[in-house]
Amino acid sequence: MLAVRGLRKVYEGHGRRVEAIGDLTFTVGAGEFACVVGPSGCGKTTLLRCVAGLLPPTAGQIEVDGRPVSGPPRGLALVFQEYGRSLFPWLRVRDNVELPLRSARVPRGRRRDLVSEALASVGLGDVHHAYPWQLSGGMQQRVAIARAVAYQPRVLLMDEQFAAVDAQTRADLEDLIRSVWQRFGVTLLFVTHDIDEAVYLGQRVIMLSAAPTHVAEDLPIDLPVERDQLTTRADARFTELRGHVYAQIQAAKRAEPSEV
Amino acid sequence: MSGAFRRAGLVLGLPVVLFVVWWFASYDSKDFYRPPLHKILEAFRDTWFGERMVQDVLPSLIRLGIGYAAALAVGVTLGVAIGSARWLRALLEPVLEFLRAIPPPVLVPIVILLAGIEDRMKVIVIVSGAVWPVLLNTVEGVRAVDEVLADTCRSYRIRGLARLRHLVLRSASPQIMTGARQALAIAIILMVISEMFAANNGLGFLVVQFQRSFQVTEMWSGVLLLGLIGVALSLAFRFVDRRVLRWYYGLRAVERQPK
Amino acid sequence: MSQPVRAGRVGQVPALLGAAGLVAVAVALELAPRLGLVPAEFMPPTSTILAELARQLQRPEFWVALRDTLVTWGIGLGIAVAAGTVAGVVIGTVPGLRAATSSTIEFLRPIPSVALIPLAVLLYGARIQSTLMLVIYASFWQMLVQVLHGVVDVDPVARDTARSYRLGLFARIRYLVWPTALPYVVTGVRLAATVALILTITGELIIGTPGLGKEIAVASESNAVPPMYALVLVTGLLGVGANLAFRAAERRVLAWHPAIRVEAAAAL
Repeated sequence: MLAVRGLRKVYEGHGRRVEAIGDLTFTVGAGEFACVVGPSGCGKTTLLRCVAGLLPPTAGQIEVDGRPVSGPPRGLALVFQEYGRSLFPWLRVRDNVELPLRSARVPRGRRRDLVSEALASVGLGDVHHAYPWQLSGGMQQRVAIARAVAYQPRVLLMDEQFAAVDAQTRADLEDLIRSVWQRFGVTLLFVTHDIDEAVYLGQRVIMLSAAPTHVAEDLPIDLPVERDQLTTRADARFTELRGHVYAQIQAAKRAEPSEV
Repeated sequence: MSGAFRRAGLVLGLPVVLFVVWWFASYDSKDFYRPPLHKILEAFRDTWFGERMVQDVLPSLIRLGIGYAAALAVGVTLGVAIGSARWLRALLEPVLEFLRAIPPPVLVPIVILLAGIEDRMKVIVIVSGAVWPVLLNTVEGVRAVDEVLADTCRSYRIRGLARLRHLVLRSASPQIMTGARQALAIAIILMVISEMFAANNGLGFLVVQFQRSFQVTEMWSGVLLLGLIGVALSLAFRFVDRRVLRWYYGLRAVERQPK
Repeated sequence: MSQPVRAGRVGQVPALLGAAGLVAVAVALELAPRLGLVPAEFMPPTSTILAELARQLQRPEFWVALRDTLVTWGIGLGIAVAAGTVAGVVIGTVPGLRAATSSTIEFLRPIPSVALIPLAVLLYGARIQSTLMLVIYASFWQMLVQVLHGVVDVDPVARDTARSYRLGLFARIRYLVWPTALPYVVTGVRLAATVALILTITGELIIGTPGLGKEIAVASESNAVPPMYALVLVTGLLGVGANLAFRAAERRVLAWHPAIRVEAAAAL
């Protein structure tokens, strides 16, 4: 469903060259939930922006649903890291979720159903007419997720979602993401720097090296499908996997960052 | 209930006091230049609530309305175009800064040369003075569109007119309204001045006629009417502003709260 | 992460483009009358206007008019700034006064100053006081409103601290209100200066008090088209100059200030 082949991204400017991504190759199958972790500054956001078609890669190819990406592809939604800023402050919650659908010329009745369903699925059935800035950070996050879900993407990208919310909200949102993924059957690529989160959420954890970035390891997560914050995190296998990912990331950090 | 009374007292107290003081202080005034307030109010009624309303006040307000609306339309359209293209902005910025810096009233004699002294001249004068604050503020607003929102639109493939309407214009609307407020003040000034300069009807014309023929009480009533028009238009503007920018004032109030 | 800024001398390219823009407009205004696109007697070509400007610069009358305009502007602005600042600080700090006066201020402020022109003419004729009346009326409100914004902006914690140390009214104004309000005051002066210049020229143009505005009116009445354009050009340059000077002064005065208040200007 999603294929990244030989992706390379070099930023140039002010007389400097920064190789953010060296050589990345991986694929994510239809309906799969993959998490990407890596040390800070390893180009995770750059990777997402390339996949979302917002940033042209220096070299390599990205395919979504079998079609090469040259601009923002159809059927792909990105939930931004700055979720609060990504909501239109002049539109009410409902209109925020509806706008991409209007723009895609989805008929009115269908739009209404999609918006209501999406908002209900993230537990925001009762704030349709609020403005985003009237909501808490966690609720804004849910609106951004609902907007992505209502768009009916086949591929959903999420960037460092929960860095700015408190621990309790974060746990709730993690479970929400799992349920959204199961309910809508999307292909989900979830980028985070939090190892626990990556292991708890995904079916697979793709570990990245430090810049120039490549895939350090692609680890299947063989935890049961039904997960919850208490039992899963107490599971011996969870601890083992987390330890493994942690060691890999530490090793990646220590590796010589080679200059270009 | 007492709170409402208190507020009403605060709002109305001083104006009522000032009015009463003016009324009684001028009551027996024999000063030719400072007639009693009650005479001014009588003159106000006799002068303006008749055919002058149709012959002078209305034409003035219609010219103002057309000129102001045209200034808004031209200013926003050009502002969006210039604000969206970096090179165009760099090319035109000094020219626009210069045009804005010209005191608008000196445009009156120039426009008279080019467009005569009819209605057309007055509308053009109003447009040529009021367009700059709208244009320059729109440019600023369009330039400052939030990057994340712009990316959001790209990634949801919101383009063309939908993007213009839901992203660019809305996000520039606070600056556009700031420009529109300045433009309104300038437009009123130019309405009056263009009529003082060359006209055969209109408010500015009539007030100057009264002054030249030493109809002092009528002239005072005209000054009063101009003042009231200014206040009424500013209230109307504020009403529109509060509606259009409801989200903006709400957002700002939230941002200002201590975290 | 956003797209990296394109390499290159970022400051120079826009400045060059801007100069090109000015030149292009000047050339267009030169060619339009020469090619007969607009009647040259109403819209003389750029070169004629510039030649006329050079001629004006050699006339003593021009410099007298310029001086008159600057004097009127300066006096009017000075009075308005002083009065607006004092009134703003008093209204903002004396309890209850702000609430009692706000409706009156909101009522008086939008009264267009040009409405006062006939009144001024009756009272003072074509003397400088007429124009001063307009200038002061218009720029006073600009100043007052900015100062009021500034005084309200005083940090509540600092206010409580001052109270708990029992600072007197004067000390409160000196050490608490004034530093907070200063950026707003400076912005107010800049905005008031623009308004004051516009009304100085307007008064001279309409009432006929001495100055550049009167020269424009005289040129217009005697159909002296190139001098009229040259003088309009001068008023524009004056406006640009004032704007640049007050912006520079603003940056200077506020260099120490943690945040140069963009907001106050935007909230105008």
